[in-house]
Amino acid sequence: MSFSGALGLSGQHFLFIFFYPKYFLQMAGAIIEKMSTKKLVLFVFFILLFQIFSILVGALISPSPTTAISYLATKCINFHRTRAWLMPWGSNRCQQVHSFDDPLAKTLDANDIVFAVHVPLPNTEMSPWFQYMLAVLQFDIAFKMINQIEDDVVITIDARLAYRDDMTSEWTTKFHSVEQRPLRCTFAVSKCFFQTYENEGRFYHCDPIPFMELGSVAHKYFLMNLRLPVNDTMNVGIGEIKDIHVVGIHQNGGFTKVWISMKTVFSPWISVATVWYWYRIRLLARPPVLLEKVIFALGLSMAFLDMPVEWLSMGFEWTWMLLFEDAQQCALYSVLFCFWIIFCGEHLMDQRQRNLLSAYWWQVGLVVFGSSVLLIFDLSERGVRLSNPFYSVWASESRRISVCLYFFSLCRMVHCVFRTISGKLQQLPTMPETRRLRYKGIIFRFKFLMLATLTCAALTIIFFILNQVSEGHWHWGDYTLQVHSAFLTGIYGMWNLYVFTIIFLYAPSHKHNRKKLGDTQHTDMTDKPESQETQLTCGEQGPTEVYRITGKVAEE
Amino acid sequence: MGNPPHHGNQLAAPALYLNMHLPPRTCCESLLHLPFLCPSSLARLPRSRPVSGAAPCARLRGLTPGQVGVCRARGEVMESVRKAAEMVIEECQHQFRNRRWNCSITPRGINVFGRVMNQGTREAAFVHALSSAAVAVAVTRACTRGELERCGCDRKVRGVSPEGFQWSGCSDNLSYGVAFSQTFVDEPERAKGLSAGRPLMNLHNNEAGRKAILHNMQVECKCHGVSGSCELRTCWKVMPPFRRVGVVLKERFDGATEVRLTRIGSRTALLPRDSQVKPPAARDLVYLAPSPDFCRLDPENGIPGTAGRRCNGTSRLAPDGCELVCCGPGYKAGRAEVVQRCSCKFSWCCSVRCQQCKNTVTIHTCRV
Repeated sequence: MSFSGALGLSGQHFLFIFFYPKYFLQMAGAIIEKMSTKKLVLFVFFILLFQIFSILVGALISPSPTTAISYLATKCINFHRTRAWLMPWGSNRCQQVHSFDDPLAKTLDANDIVFAVHVPLPNTEMSPWFQYMLAVLQFDIAFKMINQIEDDVVITIDARLAYRDDMTSEWTTKFHSVEQRPLRCTFAVSKCFFQTYENEGRFYHCDPIPFMELGSVAHKYFLMNLRLPVNDTMNVGIGEIKDIHVVGIHQNGGFTKVWISMKTVFSPWISVATVWYWYRIRLLARPPVLLEKVIFALGLSMAFLDMPVEWLSMGFEWTWMLLFEDAQQCALYSVLFCFWIIFCGEHLMDQRQRNLLSAYWWQVGLVVFGSSVLLIFDLSERGVRLSNPFYSVWASESRRISVCLYFFSLCRMVHCVFRTISGKLQQLPTMPETRRLRYKGIIFRFKFLMLATLTCAALTIIFFILNQVSEGHWHWGDYTLQVHSAFLTGIYGMWNLYVFTIIFLYAPSHKHNRKKLGDTQHTDMTDKPESQETQLTCGEQGPTEVYRITGKVAEE
Repeated sequence: MGNPPHHGNQLAAPALYLNMHLPPRTCCESLLHLPFLCPSSLARLPRSRPVSGAAPCARLRGLTPGQVGVCRARGEVMESVRKAAEMVIEECQHQFRNRRWNCSITPRGINVFGRVMNQGTREAAFVHALSSAAVAVAVTRACTRGELERCGCDRKVRGVSPEGFQWSGCSDNLSYGVAFSQTFVDEPERAKGLSAGRPLMNLHNNEAGRKAILHNMQVECKCHGVSGSCELRTCWKVMPPFRRVGVVLKERFDGATEVRLTRIGSRTALLPRDSQVKPPAARDLVYLAPSPDFCRLDPENGIPGTAGRRCNGTSRLAPDGCELVCCGPGYKAGRAEVVQRCSCKFSWCCSVRCQQCKNTVTIHTCRV
């Protein structure tokens, strides 16, 4: 009986697999091997439809993912060095100096100046839908021959943040910290040439300084008061500061709503699929193999990522949301990388003893090492920001090395598999029928997953590059397509659908019918020598099911 | 010689302001319609008296009815317009400090920069472009400081989503500033119709000023995805410093095209006087009349002449060298004792503690 004949059998009973596992006879192996090509194409078509839908949701319905609003700090005068909160505008605005070139400014001391910024602008309010708020500082520093910016200078900022929920109540202090940041500024002309009086008054170009990260936006109005204290050692040699711009970045409320909706749709979908998968595993007579366990772990971690915890952040002020989201993504990446390694290894069909996690110790170890470095780094940075949003750590390069090592080993393993496959393909005509079917099944499974994974990875990379180089939105007739949002929702939907595809297509067929129990036991015994043979060549027990079918049918 | 004919209404300017606080002899009160600014008067104004409300708007002379309407509707913006005037004087004087015409303000203040503004010269083109840009910059800065209501969240400005700030944020404050500049500064020119030479020239130059800002914006980005990756990247545009706008417009001034009014079918347009030259782009400056000789003192036209101007006699190649600044009679050298600041202790702003040093320096001035 040919392989396609075996598939034809399964095609008719496809629905039975899904709904009436008890009644289905003798199906085994993964669903993907059993599906007819027509059913497979139909399945892929529906997956693609959902994928396009998730891209369109991001492009057409959602706004841009984030907004950056630039605030020009007002230069308030704080003669008495009080700790009162100074408002830049409104009914009780502070006494201001408009420019440091004014005669009034010449009478002041640098320690009297407080830069005040009120977030958001008048007649608008912040909302918990914004999820987080980052602040970046940009300094306008003018070149003066006698007061230049020195090399490797560090700027010290005394920052305070307050909040209130209506325009009449008092400001409540939220945070206070004295922060140091390196000041990196360049001038348009090279250093030899610019030190002339001709260039006085022109501004340096300074890199934006990351300043603050608030993990949740729980109040309506925020006020920042910044000071640049001066003494003999602090804030010396930082040039002549004309203005400070604070750029506030937050996620758009509309994008948050669209994102939460997507999570609310995918979460039950993936959870149900994972539970169904484990039910399928439980129905089998044999214990689950390593590959099946990893697929289950993959489903679990995707369900974990899909948990719409953001709903709860609307009601509570949970500053650890950013950290939690990073942990979710980290967990998914780790399990996904482990899955690829183990999948490739299991399909190597070589002489080694597999089906054990310890066989992959160094790759899995690498993944665990990489993700723990990532997590520790994140904990140290974002964790401290829970108590002090102004905290900053400078990035490390170690996780890039582990990612490179991982992909190197993955590529090597994939290469091995393909070599083995081509070797087996050459030997196929000479093999007995049953073994040929088995190997063809394995090869088809592997190639399908490879194709799916490569497609997803290639699309992710292409869209990532497109995202970086293009503007945030394209105009097409009357419509505005939001490219960034489409990228994020499209990639999110794609990996969800990918995990669902794996869970569904690589689920084992149901358990054997109880009536046939005697037969299966009988076949078990007759199969032993063959199963032993397979033990030698490949630890995979799944394909022996294919064996048994064809053996059984042949008997009948 | 007599007075050059002033084309009364045709030169109507977005003049204005705040002359209600001034003694009568200053600008803006005279019957002459003046180009955009009366900055000398503005500079003398006390800042504590903002302009808003209907009454002060009606009292400002030199505003066209359309501008009075804008003043009434958006009164708090007029303070920014006043600041724009100061910015224009300062920047113009900086850019032209080494030229024969150095953007000086006539002391009597009748016509700020001299009648050269009335004649459609290169200098007038530069001043118009600079003032249009200054209004846009000043209004944008006021918006980012929170001094103005609405601004980028103003529904009337294009690009704001109807769902509002919470759904998708507000539009750029710069769009608001540019839109205001278009409404306010261009209004008198449009009111005069588009068939005369001077209004067309002013409109073109105003637009060139605004384009100088828009084409020199810088983009800054911040990556804030998972542990700082660029999966989520936010970019924003930074307005150039006004000094940069001045530099760009000065370059355009040097390359300005002389044009004349030509009729094409039923429309009129400004085309180059020399047919070999390609038509000016939107960002180029255009002028109708050649500049006068700035060497000789001409009080009626408000030209101070180069007599008594300080110049740099030490280097022949310096841009402020005496050879270039002074005219025919040349220059003379003199010695003077000056008191300068030395051994100064600076911080990042404000008060500076210095000592006084006496120095004897050589000063070169142009001869009469």
